[in-house]
Amino acid sequence: MKLKEVDRTAMQAWSPAQNHPIYLATGTSAQQLDATFSTNASLEIFELDLSDPSLDMKSCATFSSSHRYHKLIWGPYKMDSKGDVSGVLIAGGENGNIILYDPSKIIAGDKEVVIAQNDKHTGPVRALDVNIFQTNLVASGANESEIYIWDLNNFATPMTPGAKTQPPEDISCIAWNRQVQHILASASPSGRATVWDLRKNEPIIKVSDHSNRMHCSGLAWHPDVATQMVLASEDDRLPVIQMWDLRFASSPLRVLENHARGILAIAWSMADPELLLSCGKDAKILCSNPNTGEVLYELPTNTQWCFDIQWCPRNPAVLSAASFDGRISVYSIMGGSTDGLRQKQVDKLSSSFGNLDPFGTGQPLPPLQIPQQTAQHSIVLPLKKPPKWIRRPVGASFSFGGKLVTFENVRMPSHQGAEQQQQQQHHVFISQVVTEKEFLSRSDQLQQAVQSQGFISYCQKKIDASQTEFEKNVWSFLKVNFEDDSRGKYLELLGYRKEDLGKKHIKEEKEESEFLPSSGGTFNISVSGDIDGLITQALLTGNFESAVDLCLHDNRMADAIILAIAGGQELLARTQKKYFAKSQSKITRLITAVVMKNWKEIVESCDLKNWREALAAVLTYAKPDEFSALCDLLGTRLENEGDSLLQTQACLCYICAGNVEKLVACWTKAQDGSHPLSLQDLIEKVVILRKAVQLTQAMDTSTVGVLLAAKMSQYANLLAAQGSIAAALAFLPDNTNQPNIMQLRDRLCRAQGEPVAGHESPKIPYEKQQLPKGRPGPVAGHHQMPRVQTQQYYPHGENPPPPGFIMHGNVNPNAAGQLPTSPGHMHTQVPPYPQPQRPQNGWNDPPALNRVPKKKKMPENFMPPVPITSPIMNPLGDPQSQMLQQQPSAPVPLSSQSSFPQPHLPGGQPFHGVQQPLGQTGMPPSFSKPNIEGAPGAPIGNTFQHVQSLPTKKITKKPIPDEHLILKTTFEDLIQRCLSSATDPQTKRKLDDASKRLEFLYDKLREQTLSPTITSGLHNIARSIETRNYSEGLTMHTHIVSTSNFSETSAFMPVLKVVLTQANKLGV
Amino acid sequence: MVSVINTVDTSHEDMIHDAQMDYYGTRLATCSSDRSVKIFDVRNGGQILIADLRGHEGPVWQVAWAHPMYGNILASCSYDRKVIIWREENGTWEKSHEHAGHDSSVNSVCWAPHDYGLILACGSSDGAISLLTYTGEGQWEVKKINNAHTIGCNAVSWAPAVVPGSLIDQPSGQKPNYIKRFASGGCDNLIKLWKEEEDGQWKEEQKLEAHSDWVRDVAWAPSIGLPTSTIASCSQDGRVFIWTCDDASSNTWSPKLLHKFNDVVWHVSWSITANILAVSGGDNKVTLWKESVDGQWVCISDVNKGQGSVSASVTEGQQNEQ
Repeated sequence: MKLKEVDRTAMQAWSPAQNHPIYLATGTSAQQLDATFSTNASLEIFELDLSDPSLDMKSCATFSSSHRYHKLIWGPYKMDSKGDVSGVLIAGGENGNIILYDPSKIIAGDKEVVIAQNDKHTGPVRALDVNIFQTNLVASGANESEIYIWDLNNFATPMTPGAKTQPPEDISCIAWNRQVQHILASASPSGRATVWDLRKNEPIIKVSDHSNRMHCSGLAWHPDVATQMVLASEDDRLPVIQMWDLRFASSPLRVLENHARGILAIAWSMADPELLLSCGKDAKILCSNPNTGEVLYELPTNTQWCFDIQWCPRNPAVLSAASFDGRISVYSIMGGSTDGLRQKQVDKLSSSFGNLDPFGTGQPLPPLQIPQQTAQHSIVLPLKKPPKWIRRPVGASFSFGGKLVTFENVRMPSHQGAEQQQQQQHHVFISQVVTEKEFLSRSDQLQQAVQSQGFISYCQKKIDASQTEFEKNVWSFLKVNFEDDSRGKYLELLGYRKEDLGKKHIKEEKEESEFLPSSGGTFNISVSGDIDGLITQALLTGNFESAVDLCLHDNRMADAIILAIAGGQELLARTQKKYFAKSQSKITRLITAVVMKNWKEIVESCDLKNWREALAAVLTYAKPDEFSALCDLLGTRLENEGDSLLQTQACLCYICAGNVEKLVACWTKAQDGSHPLSLQDLIEKVVILRKAVQLTQAMDTSTVGVLLAAKMSQYANLLAAQGSIAAALAFLPDNTNQPNIMQLRDRLCRAQGEPVAGHESPKIPYEKQQLPKGRPGPVAGHHQMPRVQTQQYYPHGENPPPPGFIMHGNVNPNAAGQLPTSPGHMHTQVPPYPQPQRPQNGWNDPPALNRVPKKKKMPENFMPPVPITSPIMNPLGDPQSQMLQQQPSAPVPLSSQSSFPQPHLPGGQPFHGVQQPLGQTGMPPSFSKPNIEGAPGAPIGNTFQHVQSLPTKKITKKPIPDEHLILKTTFEDLIQRCLSSATDPQTKRKLDDASKRLEFLYDKLREQTLSPTITSGLHNIARSIETRNYSEGLTMHTHIVSTSNFSETSAFMPVLKVVLTQANKLGV
Repeated sequence: MVSVINTVDTSHEDMIHDAQMDYYGTRLATCSSDRSVKIFDVRNGGQILIADLRGHEGPVWQVAWAHPMYGNILASCSYDRKVIIWREENGTWEKSHEHAGHDSSVNSVCWAPHDYGLILACGSSDGAISLLTYTGEGQWEVKKINNAHTIGCNAVSWAPAVVPGSLIDQPSGQKPNYIKRFASGGCDNLIKLWKEEEDGQWKEEQKLEAHSDWVRDVAWAPSIGLPTSTIASCSQDGRVFIWTCDDASSNTWSPKLLHKFNDVVWHVSWSITANILAVSGGDNKVTLWKESVDGQWVCISDVNKGQGSVSASVTEGQQNEQ
């Protein structure tokens, strides 16, 4: 397709390949006259600007010359590529002269543009070529067999390549070899070509086919193969291009006979040796493969002959052709539509036609045989064969999982033949790219710690390796989570030793006890009118209130308080208030907070410099249900403070609080999270903290906050990018329906390469556009679903966790206080997204059975110090709670069939309600029976309201008394056995139902509300079950039902009968 | 550290021009001058030929996988001026659509971010870029940008789907107001950025000029949540530039020279996390580059014949720059 055109009858030379931008120099041709018959000559330089869509070429400079040219070349000599234009223009003139121009000066508009000039030659200089190895060497040819080698460094005295050939003839072409720098070829219209070796200074071979009809108009060396060259013939009788190989110089290797008339010029592409341009008197411009002879392309030209044709050295798809109609056209051989350009061309043609007869001779220029073909196809096809320069030989592309796909094609010089090309192996390499080794090894360590549960040693290692005090602190705090008496340890870390306090405490007690014996003596009860007497009177009448008022009035604070204790809770509280209102000492606020249990006050209003103290106080006193919130509060205050130091300390508070989400937020604010290692820093802490929370607080850690989820998926992305797909999967939060996380999970799962069964439509978390009936994927817009619904317990079923872990979300008093626990709403929803094969022991996997269930330390058996409501220490706990603590925390077989989905139950409801005897192990004794009682002597029934109101019903369930536990295990065992041998779904459903209904029995056992006859009867049934004598059991069953109160047994006895009947039938 | 984990013998009978893994990294598509496109299952280090797709009548330059939410779809472009969209249906790969709207070699194909639907950009040596949009029921709508790059477009690459002015999620239910953009590079030495106007027409938004020869490839870096946009470009002139735009509204791009190689650079590819750039040069060398903390691009590895090793080309590169 034509790109540009210039109306000049001129020789042309492209700027060298190094030059940018691309210029085209034109010099008025000596051989043609245009219709003006003007003999003025000029040297012009145009810029090839392809971003300009118009056909015009921008003229940069014109230099009026006194010469007209036979040949023009642009050599890269002394090209330092600093300026826009450089090199040297070398022109061959009419009178044996060679002129060197400085193109940069021409463009600059300089007057003195000629570098040097020499007219040593005889006749017109038609042949010029620059040596591509030594760009200072220029060969020229003229009449009388004259060939000179010019050294541009010493232009005055040219060399000769050897003795002149005889007979003397014109030199029409000259060319340096493209591979061997001292080899030069020349050719003449007589048809003979001579190859010169400059080292030997003589011709080494003469090439001629002896037809005497070759009329050499073109000579070109093969760009790659040193011994091959082509010769083109201008003779209409032999319009051929001969391809010669000097190794067989007796006849041409190949003859290209694609032109109908003589060839005027040829040009061999340096960018692709399979492209040879030729233009001839048949008005064609052809591009052929000289190695095969095939015509690859015919340029859509007008009907004019072209006498010069040149490849653009820099842009390999561009060529220029100078035609006898006074025009230089620039073409692309890549084809393309000419629609945008054609109109203009037509306009120009018609307008130039108007000027064709400027002298009015009535004779237009000869039409050159072929009629005008104005109706060209608007689409110009490209070369038949793709040019070498668009054949990408190498490539490397990243793909998911840090993989790099690479291929390369070893460059084959084309002359070595096609057979070798085929032997070449075409391999693609898939490589793993790992750039973050430290990141990976740390991630690995973290995973190992999680898998081996070696949290303490992991934290210790981190402490030891800590570079900063803060880092050390954070890890110490994290470590404490896994140790016994975590609160005490926290206090130690804050600089408060519990033992010290304990010692002081004991000391006080001793002092007190010293006073006590003295009360043995007798004393007077004065009822006099003084204040003592009034108090006595009030006491004697049981009027504590008046007595206290009197004491207060008299500023006898201690007496007032002591009395108020006796007077009951309400009075005490009032008295305390009054006392605090009066008292002004510095620590009053602390005391106030301690006594009133108003920790919020401390945390909210303490000076933030005292954050340690506030945290210590909270650690010491706060009840489990408010502990986290208080730590959070303190953390938030610290975080909001401008001080960056305090901001980082907020992290410690969040660690104490077990608030992962806030830790992430705070950390992210303080650190630059973009670097993998800094993200690793964060993730280490988060993972360990989550583990701690999971172990100690049995909190529902499956909920992942938005921020944490974002960080975790970023982390997983990083791991994946390093090729650690499995690790990435392990760290990716698995119970969130944020679309990006689910997409990443899907990607990771499939990247792991586990086979997809059959050809099922891939389950990907996107809305399938072309599968309308596909289930709605969690596309954007679904993530506003209530998060609780997405919690999954153990969708895989095969790994029921130890009972100690099962209840997260329900048991924890904190959770109970925060979430209204309606039964069942915590339960599994079918995951909207499949979870194929997951790595074992991911950090957020449910704990597997093989893990030793850790005995919980927090907060179940953490008891905050008894609030100071009485100077007389209460004995620790009450008998009830002690008994409860002795309860084996060993798992009661917790009817896994009811807690877990049972995919193997056909048609069965996959999930059951959660009204299981959950309370058994996780129930915090300190809450089942508050051990804080009113002071002795106080009116009865004054227990703390808040304790009673806190837990839900479920949590207050007592354990089944030991002696009756056997009933539960026996019945449940029987149901299990029946279930495993039952075949039909109906029976299974019945049994499942029975298992649930028996809860009523267990509840009654817990409450110990069953009459002894019934319980003993039940024990008899249990014994008969153990001996597998079900009929006896049924008899006993009938006996119980007939002898007991119907309302007492109706809830469970019929079910028990069903079970016994089934057992009998199944013979289990 | 680069280690070969799988060597796939493609049995192509001529030069390979492209090799791309699918979204999951489990399947490999290759294309060659032998006019074929092949798909291999490369899971677990294996290589199973799934499909040998014939249909092009010239060398196949590039292949591109569509996002799996649309099914298993592969686009290929060829010197035969055609773009073919292949599709797997019931385990069999078949030609699903043929686009013959170009007048010259189609050099590059690239799928738009999946958020926009199925849109394919194709760059051709005829200078035009065409955009194929799937409109359902086997129909593709074609928009064409003529004269995008005089004498040829060599590469197209989409900008990641980022909603302007917001890094957080859009309110759900509302279709995010994406601005569609892509970059192209061509034989006019230019990189051009194109933007879809509100009327659905594509408009040249920006010209990036720094290369002094054909732009061989452009690669818009994946979004990692930062407001900065990044484009890598490579050229016949041996230069690789990293273009960054910190402010989407002002749309000013500044180039930074990553390296000047001694030979043409054919291809640039970003890692998924956008922190490593793989550069493939005409000397058959693949190098990996990473931005250091001080913002300098450093060669971290030479990948030659899959033998990964840290190379000395860092120093060499610095010398070249000076």
